[in-house]
Amino acid sequence: MPAVQETIEQVRNIDVDQYKYGFETLIETDKAPKGLNEDIIRFISAKKNEPEWMLEWRLEAYRRWLTLEEPTWARVNYPKIDFQDIYYYAAPKNQAGPKSLDEVDPELLKTYEKLGIPLKEQEILAGVRKAGELSPSGDEAVDGEVSDSVYNSGRVAVDAVFDSVSVVTTFKKELAKAGVIFCSISEAIREHPELVKKYLGSVVPTSDNFYATLNSAVFTDGSFVYVPKGVRCPMELSTYFRINEKNTGQFERTLIIAEEGAYVSYLEGCTAPQRDENQLHAAVVELVALDDAEIKYSTVQNWYPGDKDGKGGIYNFVTKRGDCRGKNSKISWTQVETGSAITWKYPSCILRGDNSRGEFYSIAVSNGHQQIDSGTKMIHLGKNTSSRIISKGISAGHSNNTYRGQVSAHRKATNARNFTQCDSLLIGNDCGAHTVPYIEAKNATAQFEHEATTSKISEDALFYVMQRGIPEEEAIALIVNGFVKEVIQELPMEFAVEAQKLIGISLEGSVG
Amino acid sequence: MNVHTSQSRTPAETALIDAFSERVGDLPGNADVAVARDTALEALKIQGLPSRRIESWHYTDIRTQLRSVAPFDAAAGSQPIAPLIAGSTVAAVSNGATISAGQVDGVTFEKLSEKLADGTFAPALATRSTDDLIGQINAAYVTDGWHVDIAEGAELETPLELQNLQKSGQSHVRFPVRVGKGAKATIIERQYGGEGEAFSSSISQLTVADGAEIVWIILRQHGDTSVQFCQFNAWLGKDAKLTLFVVNAGGKLVRQEVHVLAKGEGSDFQLRGINLLGGESHTDVTMTVGHLVENTTSTEIVRNVVTGRARGVFQGMIRVAKIAQKTDARMACNSLLLSDDAEFDAKPELEIFADDVACGHGATVTEIDQDHLFYLMARGIPEKEARGLLVKAFVAEIIEELEDEPLVEALEAILEDWLSAHG
Amino acid sequence: MLEIKNLHARIAEDGTEIIRGLNLTVKAGEVAAIMGPNGSGKSTLSYILAGREDYEVTEGDILYNGESILDLDPAERAAKGIFLAFQYPMEIPGVATMEFLKVAMNEQRKARGEEELKIPEFMKRVKDAAGLLSMDMGMLKRPLNVGFSGGEKKRAEILQMKLLEPKLCVLDETDSGLDIDALKIVSEGVNALRSPDRAIVVITHYQRLLDYIVPDSVHVLYKGRVIKSGDKTLARQLEENGYAEIIGEAA
Repeated sequence: MPAVQETIEQVRNIDVDQYKYGFETLIETDKAPKGLNEDIIRFISAKKNEPEWMLEWRLEAYRRWLTLEEPTWARVNYPKIDFQDIYYYAAPKNQAGPKSLDEVDPELLKTYEKLGIPLKEQEILAGVRKAGELSPSGDEAVDGEVSDSVYNSGRVAVDAVFDSVSVVTTFKKELAKAGVIFCSISEAIREHPELVKKYLGSVVPTSDNFYATLNSAVFTDGSFVYVPKGVRCPMELSTYFRINEKNTGQFERTLIIAEEGAYVSYLEGCTAPQRDENQLHAAVVELVALDDAEIKYSTVQNWYPGDKDGKGGIYNFVTKRGDCRGKNSKISWTQVETGSAITWKYPSCILRGDNSRGEFYSIAVSNGHQQIDSGTKMIHLGKNTSSRIISKGISAGHSNNTYRGQVSAHRKATNARNFTQCDSLLIGNDCGAHTVPYIEAKNATAQFEHEATTSKISEDALFYVMQRGIPEEEAIALIVNGFVKEVIQELPMEFAVEAQKLIGISLEGSVG
Repeated sequence: MNVHTSQSRTPAETALIDAFSERVGDLPGNADVAVARDTALEALKIQGLPSRRIESWHYTDIRTQLRSVAPFDAAAGSQPIAPLIAGSTVAAVSNGATISAGQVDGVTFEKLSEKLADGTFAPALATRSTDDLIGQINAAYVTDGWHVDIAEGAELETPLELQNLQKSGQSHVRFPVRVGKGAKATIIERQYGGEGEAFSSSISQLTVADGAEIVWIILRQHGDTSVQFCQFNAWLGKDAKLTLFVVNAGGKLVRQEVHVLAKGEGSDFQLRGINLLGGESHTDVTMTVGHLVENTTSTEIVRNVVTGRARGVFQGMIRVAKIAQKTDARMACNSLLLSDDAEFDAKPELEIFADDVACGHGATVTEIDQDHLFYLMARGIPEKEARGLLVKAFVAEIIEELEDEPLVEALEAILEDWLSAHG
Repeated sequence: MLEIKNLHARIAEDGTEIIRGLNLTVKAGEVAAIMGPNGSGKSTLSYILAGREDYEVTEGDILYNGESILDLDPAERAAKGIFLAFQYPMEIPGVATMEFLKVAMNEQRKARGEEELKIPEFMKRVKDAAGLLSMDMGMLKRPLNVGFSGGEKKRAEILQMKLLEPKLCVLDETDSGLDIDALKIVSEGVNALRSPDRAIVVITHYQRLLDYIVPDSVHVLYKGRVIKSGDKTLARQLEENGYAEIIGEAA
């Protein structure tokens, strides 16, 4: 079909330089010397006025890290990282800790404004409209599920992390009224040490894997959320990560705890300037859900993916894990991955509590020379646990896009249930789409269902849509949107709109 | 990946490596073959036995699971057994040596030991990759086997049965089979034995020329003290068709690899796997299918019944090369777990570099369907029989695809025997 | 023959009560029709009679020839002569229909202490029964119900009923999905089974089926109880006036 051929041509010529968040903020920075050793860790810990136990925790992780080797099993290729050639701490000057909004450097406020994240409490996030007005897919509003006052209010509390520090957290007072703690992890270590001590490293131990261990040693900032027993968090919580400095690694650490019967929805966004060299982002996210609690964690990851020749871009090596510790608890991960040169990321659920439930919804779009190896793990330990995995991969350009997922039912996990649907779409003929599931059943009552497909956009569907008068580019966009719709619907509305735009931009040249 | 070099050798590694100096004097082969053997042994020495850290052996950790290796035993030979299908042409190997071959028009049997001795087989001893444990062990130690040629255009009316008999002890054999253009045949690879402690490897190398059609059955009937490492390699020409049935019914530690390359346009590969696993058996079927050219098709369906303390593994990989447009490849792996201690691990992979393809895989792990059970019981069939009927149906569905009455009946009889022994 | 006394039953999984104090008596030789709107518990009743584990009897009893059957599993009930013609017969891939018939007939005979059927006798019976129902023998070579049309499935159910010679036949919405010709054939099959020592319970939403299988008694089921019983004229009355009137009366 010549029309499709033309599209393929366009994808081939696609220029990833249309990354619109690639600007740099010129701001004075306070940096630790390059490289990694115990002194650097002491420096970071001192900068953050950390208690002695935290420093010890970091040093122990660092010593452990020295004994580990970089994992090689993922389907990604990159030159060996020189861990001594990275700055492990960079912070805007005079911005050592989060302050009130009026004290924040205007340059920073401008940066976030440009990114569409105004750090003002009176305003709502860019692109946010009231429920009902919004129809991300263009054909039906998803207002049925969002009648909640949370969404109607359109308010989102934001923790803004700039390089190594959190520069501001909004709506803190109002959240405190409900008993919700939302602050930077550095602040939590100082102000709520008993909670941090109890939960930090309890889901992702310091010895977990190469990057998580590195993170444990050098993490600089990130968000902390604590929702007390029986509380439904009154608004969406969000963290916006920005890497600005050159040669700087970002090692954020996020810890979210939902006590018995609590509920919280948390959003995460990320961008970085366009640079020729690769930058490392190695985050750890830990979620703990106790009895009857629910945590919904959504990510729109749009780190700089590198240019059209594959130069530059972020190495995104992330460990995200949720522990459904209590009975009837639920953790749901939703991710839209459009950025990064390399993504190595498997948001997982440990289904420990009886009747607990884990969900993973993912859209991974790769273009240019991006390499994605992402998926999930659903580890069924408790009785009557269930999980659901919906993964949609779209590969274009010269990219490689791998879904890697593990579903495992342990001996005692009677009646474990899993459903996995994993679809890949290829646009153009220089890319690859791969599916690597690991299905492990050690219990006779387990019922697992896994389905995967790989195809191109159906010519019949394209013809049908075009025959109704829709131009090709739009027709493809329509079909791609249909392809990812199941996942988009899982996103909070603020992100649903943003995510659809992003997918469009990421595939520009093929889907307009 | 050289994680093993720093580790100490396990007793099984030592036994496998040290035996070479004792055996080498008796192994057939010219200088080229000797080099190939040395290369393979060297790779084994460097790599050691694979552990779960080696991705292709993730669920079958040979390093910990292979505790000992049955020693060579000159007295372990036996006579050919009755073929699965009466009237088949039998070519048998026992305890690593050819013992007999029948005669049929259009087929030439030659002893592999002779092709090793004159060196013509040396190039075919090359291993697949650094994680090719079976290739390494077999290339180092292979002694004999039947080299089979099926003439162009030959249409065999009765099956060929290649018997590899190993009641105890150790052996390493190969069955290279060349099928000429347009030929048609049914070939039964009979892996039989394991009354006592046994360790054996067997590699089949099948070339299917343009337009030829082959039905190949691998039937494993081994005792519960037998370790068997087998590999089936096939290359398909233009419009060639290969239907491969792998039936595993026995063995303590079994790895059956299947590697098929669709090299000719219009070729079709069908795999049907039946794993009947009971007792303490650990059985691993690992398959790769490479679609290398345009317009090729493949379907793989594997059905597993696991009971007792058995553990089953299926790893399947469909690879589609960049130029292999219009590939249609489907894979399904369905497992029934019948006991609390049974386990099954599946890893069905897709690796796709061409955009105009239709590929998919499905995997399920289930119990017996309660609705089906109720329906049968509501018709007066007691629970135990009803379960047996459903398990049989789960597997028989695959067997019946063969459309070859005697073959279907023979395989169903094996299924019945297994069910009555493990039901 | 069948006596249901103050039966209460719920869905085992979530405890939803479906049958709430149901009383019903069906005598040998009787054809009883059970009618009721959607959701009244008709299909549940048929499953409970056949012994489906998904439902829990919490109160009351089901007596079959004077004995409680609540402790019997489905196969034991079937061996005693209880047959359920399913509304949606299960497709069971891989199980050949003929083999299934043979096993079912012989298991039931075994349970009753009778000798197994010899193959020729079995074949003859299947052929005769299939002939009466205008069924193609080729169909019976296929796996059980797989690829059968809706009508073929229903016919296969009646065929099984004929061959198994049950004493209590429960027909769950046997008319659903049948065109008029198929309905006639199926009804004739059922009518041929009417006999003084056999009871038939016909569960249906519509009166239509009862034009072909004329009932001796009609019972209206609503919210898990029989709210009205009568003779065949009750069915007509329902057809003309709908369920609302009777439900109103009962309330």
